[in-house]
Amino acid sequence: MTTELAIDNYLTSLRLHLGPLTIAEREEIVREIGAHIRDSAEESGTSVETVLARLGPATDLAAQYREGLLIRTASRSFSPLVLLRAALRLATKSIFGIFVFFCSVIGYSFGAGFVVVAFAKAIVPSHTGAWVQDGRLVSAGAFVYGMPPMAHEVLGMWAIPLGLIAGSLTLLLTTFLVRNSLRISQRVQARL
Amino acid sequence: MAKPRTQTAEGDSPDRWEAQLRKGALEMAALASLWKGRLYGLEIIRFLENQSSLSLAEGTIYPILNRLKVEGMLASEWVEAEAGHPRKYYSLTESGRQRLCLMAEAWFDFSRGLSRLLEPVMENQEIPQ
Repeated sequence: MTTELAIDNYLTSLRLHLGPLTIAEREEIVREIGAHIRDSAEESGTSVETVLARLGPATDLAAQYREGLLIRTASRSFSPLVLLRAALRLATKSIFGIFVFFCSVIGYSFGAGFVVVAFAKAIVPSHTGAWVQDGRLVSAGAFVYGMPPMAHEVLGMWAIPLGLIAGSLTLLLTTFLVRNSLRISQRVQARL
Repeated sequence: MAKPRTQTAEGDSPDRWEAQLRKGALEMAALASLWKGRLYGLEIIRFLENQSSLSLAEGTIYPILNRLKVEGMLASEWVEAEAGHPRKYYSLTESGRQRLCLMAEAWFDFSRGLSRLLEPVMENQEIPQ
């Protein structure tokens, strides 16, 4: 049965490309599309090939299912990776998305930077902190080498709690901003 | 340069714009097709083809239905049919009904305003160049 084979191939490909969904969601989609193909072919007497062509490639169909999913799950996620991926997807769609993506990259970088400073202070205390010379900041950060001898470090061990607090606040704020932007974009999309 | 008005195939931007417009309207159309009662996917597609000129790539409707269901606008149930396999029927939930009413209202306001705006443009098209 070549038509059965064609249907099976289509559904297998669809199932394969619906990877990120849960098994239950995936099977429900495959079952529904399978029913559509059979109904559609019986109803009008059109060939299965035509029906499949009208559905479009299985990869495209799966992509449409996944599209909403990434942004939807990301807007409930706390993982920077998931949020960054969703922001990147948003960036391909609108100027607002590009802005959100850049903000998220900058936010996560600074947040991670502050945390790194806190840890570095514990490991290499003499090369971590903020250096001031003649009343102005010359350098700040972790693993800083080759400071002029006149510069002195002002934070001391405070770099650890300050780094941790500033880092977590920045990361939290970034997460909050990205999640809200994703929700806004979803709502805008839902309205048209 | 007497081109038929409805065919704006030259340059892809009007086409893209129309595609976007259709896609945006599709969600509302899918909700509207369920106003009178439950339907399954293929019935929704046929309904939209018959009632409006919303002919669509058949694949597009299913991901939209899926999303509307996740958003709580639609409910679904599998029903055994004489066809030999069950079909997934969709129906409007209470919030789906409310959303559709709001959409319809906004749509009519919007299109009334736009039609007024476009009247001179349509009249202008009758003037020979």
